Amino acid sequence: MIESQRHSYHLVDPSPWPISGSLGALATTVGGVMYMHSFQGGARLLSLGLIFILYTMFVWWRDVLRESTLEGHHTKVVQLGLRYGFILFIVSEVMFFFAFFWASSHSSLAPTVEIGGIWPPKGIGVLDPWEIPFLNTPILLSSGAAVTWAHHAILAGKEKRAVYALVATVFLALVFTGFQGMEYYQAPFTISDSIYGSTFFLATGFHGFHVIIGTLFLIICGIRQYLGHLTKEHHVGFEAAAWYWHFVDVVRLFPFVSIYWWGGI
Amino acid sequence: MADEIELKTAPADFRFPTTNQTRHCFTRYIEFHGCLAAKGESNECERFAKYYLSLCPGEWVERWSEQRENGTFPGPL
Repeated sequence: MIESQRHSYHLVDPSPWPISGSLGALATTVGGVMYMHSFQGGARLLSLGLIFILYTMFVWWRDVLRESTLEGHHTKVVQLGLRYGFILFIVSEVMFFFAFFWASSHSSLAPTVEIGGIWPPKGIGVLDPWEIPFLNTPILLSSGAAVTWAHHAILAGKEKRAVYALVATVFLALVFTGFQGMEYYQAPFTISDSIYGSTFFLATGFHGFHVIIGTLFLIICGIRQYLGHLTKEHHVGFEAAAWYWHFVDVVRLFPFVSIYWWGGI
Repeated sequence: MADEIELKTAPADFRFPTTNQTRHCFTRYIEFHGCLAAKGESNECERFAKYYLSLCPGEWVERWSEQRENGTFPGPL
């Protein structure tokens, strides 16, 4: 296997997961459009596609773990490539959020006459930024500190402590998500309430979605750490999860200041 | 010929230097109704009325009047 190749790169074995992921994406998009236009079977195809995508993610990444932790294909250069790749992915996510913040600023900095030239629009019951949003921001920031604690524990070889730190991180993340969900449920305005509702829920909604994904990633890292997969020299998966978590954290600060605080005045 | 007809329109407002004068019209409309609310039907408000009547399209004025009657006018009156 790795002894018979005269280079330190990883040439992956043939795998069905890329094509299965593509088919899942096809089903999701076609099903999504069918559903939104009330075609028969749209919802079914959409759910089938989503399940397929989730399944593909599970088996693909399970295979990555097998190739790396169990088969040893992740040499130093492979790790470097993975790190670069993940950083570029996070950059693309930054671009994604940039678009939503642009949309929010476009509508809020020069509100149109159709909504009365004022922001927030008349009648919108703005959420008090100093209540739940103000509580949630430090919760997320502390979970960022906890993930750094976990990282230091891994680097120092303190395996049990790393597990505890990851548990703390995930716990804080779940508390954040819970509060945010409660706030969504109780908000006096909906996504259909003028451009305010649209920009608010799109920006915070996608952020929440990313928090949930990040939480899942951290849970997996916690399980792997518990099982002993991560060593103090080699823990690229954990680093990726930590970077992603810090990214989610920073993104949170932007809507807090611009949408919750400034947008509500 | 009849008496000289004086042709005037709203003066250029440096707050709205752009070609698109939508905000100018809206602001004058709001100013007029703000003046009415503060001073009642006085002559000073006539000036603001002339400004918004020359700047704003008739359809908009009608729509905003309807909204004001229904209580759905979104602006800060």
